[in-house]
Amino acid sequence: MATYIIKRIMLMFPTLFLISVIIFLVLNLAPGKPTSSSVTAEGTQDSKSSEARESYRIFKEQFNFDKPVMFNTRFLLTRADVFEELRVLGDFARPTCTAANTPVNCLNADQKPKSGRVIEAQDVIEDWGTYVVPQLVEIAQTDTRVDIRKLAINRLSVNAKRRLLNEYGKSQTPEQRVFNREVAAENELISAWTASDQVTMPEIETLMAEKWTPWFASHGDRWNWDMGDKASMMFFDTRFSKYWGNLARFDFGVSHIDKRPVLDKIMERLPYTLTLNFLAIFFAYLFSIPIGVWSAYKQNSPADRVVTAVLLAFYSLPSFFVGLLLLNWFADGDPYGLFPTGGFAGQLPAWYGESPASTADMTTMDYLVSASYHLLLPVFCMTYGGIASLSRYARTGLLDTIRADFIRTARAKGLSETMVIVKHAVRNGMIPVLTLLGTMLPALIGGSVVIEYVFNIPGMGLFMFESIFARDYNAIMGVLLISTVLTLFGLLASDISYAIVDPRISFD
Amino acid sequence: MDDIKNTETAKAAARAKAEAEFKSYGDIIWNQFQKYPLSYYSMYGVLWLFVIAVLAPVLALNVPFYASVPEGVGAANLAGVHFPWFSALFDRNFFESGLDIFFNMLIFTMPINFVIWIGLKKSKGDIKRRDFVRLRTRFVSWSALAQILVFTVIYFWEFREPYVDWITMAGNSSVSTVFPLLQFSFRDVDLTSVILDPDWKHFLGTDREGRDVFTRILYGTRISLTIGVVAVAIYTTIGVILGGLAGYFGKWVDMVVLRLVEVMICFPTFFLILTLRGFIDDPSIFHIMLIIGLTGWTGIARLVRSEFLLLKRQDFVQAAIALGLTERRIIFRHVMPNALGPVFVSATFGVAGAILIEASLSFLGLGPATAPSWGQILTAGRETGKDVLILAPGLAIFVTVILLNLVGEGARDALDPKLRK
Repeated sequence: MATYIIKRIMLMFPTLFLISVIIFLVLNLAPGKPTSSSVTAEGTQDSKSSEARESYRIFKEQFNFDKPVMFNTRFLLTRADVFEELRVLGDFARPTCTAANTPVNCLNADQKPKSGRVIEAQDVIEDWGTYVVPQLVEIAQTDTRVDIRKLAINRLSVNAKRRLLNEYGKSQTPEQRVFNREVAAENELISAWTASDQVTMPEIETLMAEKWTPWFASHGDRWNWDMGDKASMMFFDTRFSKYWGNLARFDFGVSHIDKRPVLDKIMERLPYTLTLNFLAIFFAYLFSIPIGVWSAYKQNSPADRVVTAVLLAFYSLPSFFVGLLLLNWFADGDPYGLFPTGGFAGQLPAWYGESPASTADMTTMDYLVSASYHLLLPVFCMTYGGIASLSRYARTGLLDTIRADFIRTARAKGLSETMVIVKHAVRNGMIPVLTLLGTMLPALIGGSVVIEYVFNIPGMGLFMFESIFARDYNAIMGVLLISTVLTLFGLLASDISYAIVDPRISFD
Repeated sequence: MDDIKNTETAKAAARAKAEAEFKSYGDIIWNQFQKYPLSYYSMYGVLWLFVIAVLAPVLALNVPFYASVPEGVGAANLAGVHFPWFSALFDRNFFESGLDIFFNMLIFTMPINFVIWIGLKKSKGDIKRRDFVRLRTRFVSWSALAQILVFTVIYFWEFREPYVDWITMAGNSSVSTVFPLLQFSFRDVDLTSVILDPDWKHFLGTDREGRDVFTRILYGTRISLTIGVVAVAIYTTIGVILGGLAGYFGKWVDMVVLRLVEVMICFPTFFLILTLRGFIDDPSIFHIMLIIGLTGWTGIARLVRSEFLLLKRQDFVQAAIALGLTERRIIFRHVMPNALGPVFVSATFGVAGAILIEASLSFLGLGPATAPSWGQILTAGRETGKDVLILAPGLAIFVTVILLNLVGEGARDALDPKLRK
C-alpha cells in the first residue's frame, strides 16, 4: 500500500508538469494583452506619451511579458529585422504629403504604416531588449536616414540598459547590491545619451563618436555569445522557464493588481472554499446513502418512484437559480429576513445574540455559530445536486448487490434484516459511490464559483472570477495549479479509500 | 411441378413474413423507449421547445405581417401594401446573429421537411423495408445539405433594408397592420418602460433596459438549445474519434489518449472554461459553444474507449477481421454502431449539462453581451431583486434541463437489456 501511494505521488509530478504546461500555453498564447491597474490600455496605445510607455515597459519587464513564451531565438536577429521595425516607426513619424503642399521628407498617406502595426513595432523592439544592441549600434553608425539613426540612438538609450539582479525580490544580497549599484550608474549614464527631435546628421555623428561607439567598443564583448550561451538563452531566457524557476521555489509571482504574492492571496481564500466544499461533500454523502439505500430497498414501490422523481427534479435545478431564489425570499427581508445576504461570517442570528463589530471580536463559539448561520444557504445549494446524483448511484449500487448470493446466504442463516442490509449489502454496494468522491471534488470546486458569486463568499472561486476580469495571469495560473493539486489529491484519496473498503482490490 | 411451385410460394410468403416481422436494433430500442411514458412525452416536450424556438418571431416581433400604408404617411416610398415581417426575418437590422437567421430559415423549411417526413412514414407499409430505409437516409442527408446551403447563401448575402419603425407607424390611425402576438423586439431598448411588473401587455414584465422578458425568454430558447446541441456535437465528435482510436488500436495511441484524459480531468472544468472565456474579448455564442465543446470530451472518450475494448474482443468483430474486411469497414460498420448507444445517452445528458454551463457563464456576466440568454435575464433578476426576473428564466432552464434528463433516463433504460420490458 505504501509503495502504491508513493508511486502515485511520484506520478503526480509529470501530470502536474504537463498540466502547468497546458495552462501556461493557454494563458500566454491567448489573444489579449495583460494590463495592470497603474498601466491602462492607453499606455500601450499611445506611442507618444513616453512616461506611460516607460511604465508599461517596466510592467512588462517585471512580469516577464517581454520574454518569448517557450523558445528564445532572439540571438538570431539580424540588422534587417531591426531596421524593418525602426522603419515602420520612422515612417509613421514622417509628415504626410498632400496635394497642396509637400513637406520635406514626406510620405503618401497610403504608404504610411497602419497604427496597429506601429504599436506592434514599438512593442516588438522594446521586448527585444538588450539582444538587439549590436544591431542598433550598427544602424546608428551607418544608416543613411537621419530619422532612423535618431530612432536607433533613442532606442539604444533604453534597450542597452541592463537589468538589476533580483530587482523585484524581497531582499538582495550584498554582492547583488554592489552589482546593482554599478549597473544603475551605467544605466543612468546611458539614458542621457539621446538625440533630440530636430537632430542633424553631423550631431548624430558626434554623439556616436563621443558616446556610443566608445561605449560599445568597451562593452561589446557582452554580445559575443558562444554556443552554450545561445543554448541557455534559447531555453532559459523565456517566460516559461522564468515562471518554472519561480514555481520551483513555491513562488507563484505577484498579483498584477495589488502586487501582493499570489500564494498569500490564494491561501487567504482557500479555507473558505475548502470549508464550503467539505461541508457540501459531507452532507451530500450523509443524506444520499440512506436515501439511496432506502429507495433501493423499496424498489418499484410508489415511495421509491416519488423519491426518484424528486431527486431527478433536484438534479435538474440549477444551483445558482435556487441560491438566488433563497436569497431573495429568505435573506432580503422580503418576505423573510431569516439569513444574512452573503459573506462567510460576521453576523449572528437574532435569537443568539448581538453581532459584534468584526469577526476578530468573536469567541470561537460565536464564530462557529456565525459561520454556520452564513453558510446554511450556500451549503444547501451546493449539496442538493450532489444528494440527487449520489443517491442514484447508491440506489443502483445496492440493487446490484441485494440480489447477490451472499445476501441470500445471510438471510438463510437467519441474520436479522437490518444486519443483512447494513452489514452485508450496504458495505459492498457503496463501493462505486465512494469512488465518485474523487470526481466530485473538481466539479464542486468549479461549481463553487457561481455559489461564491451569488452569496458573496470571498473564496477561491470568486478570486478566480475577479482575476479573470482583471487579466491577472499569475493569479489565474496560481488558482488553476492549486485547484489541480487539490483534485489530484482528491483522486488519490478516492483510490486509497477504494482499496481500504474493498478487500478484493490490492495494490501490492 | 406443383410441389416446387408450392414450396416456392411458401418460401416467398415466409420471406415476406420475416421482412414484416424484422426489427432492426434501432426499432427495438425505439419500442423499448416508448414503454417509458415520462421519457417518451419528454421527448415531445423537447421537440416542442424546438418548435417554439423556431417560431419565436411568429409569436413576438416588432414588425407586422401585413401593413397597408396610405399616401402621405411616413416616407413617400412606403405607400402601399407591405409584408415587412418576411423580409425582416433575414434583415440584419433585426437579426444580427447567424443563429437567429438559421432559425428564421427553419420557419420556412421546417414545415416542408415535416410534410415530406409524414409522407415517408405513410409509405412505410407500401414499400419494401430496405427501400424505406434508403429513402429515409437519402431524405435526411439531402434536406440537411439543402438547408445548410440555403443558410450559407442567406448568411453571406448580408441583407439589410432601410429601417422602418413599424410600431410608430401603426400608431397612425390610417395605417392598418397585422402584428405578431407580441409587438416587442428581444433587443430594442425602451427606457420609458424599465422594470415593469407583469401585466397583460408584458406577460413577464420588463428588464432594466425595458425589454420584454417574455420575448427574451422565447428567443433565449434558441440560444440554449443551440449551445447545448452544438457544444455536445463538438465534444462527442472529439470524444468518439479519440476514444475509438484508443480503444481499437491500443498500444501507444491508447497511452497518449489516456494521459490526455487524465490531465483533462484534473482541471476543474468550470475553471478551465472561465479561463478560456476570459481571454476572448468579445465572445459570441459560437465561442461559448467551442469552449464547452473543447473542454467536455473526456467522458465520451473514456466511454467509447471502453466500448471499443469490449467490442473488439467479441466474436462478430473477430469474424469480420478473419474475413479480411478493411479496417475502415470494421470500425465504421461493425464496431462503431454498437458503441454509439451509450454515447447517445451520455450526449443527451450532456446537452442538459451544456445548457447549465452556458446559463452559469451568462449569469456570471461572461456570456455574449447582447444575446437574450436565460442566464443573463437571471443576472437582471439578481440585480433588481424581482421575483419574476429570477423565476421566469430559472424555470425555463429547469424545464429544458429536466426534459432532456428524462429523455436521457428513458434512453438509458431502453438500451439496457436487463431492464427490457
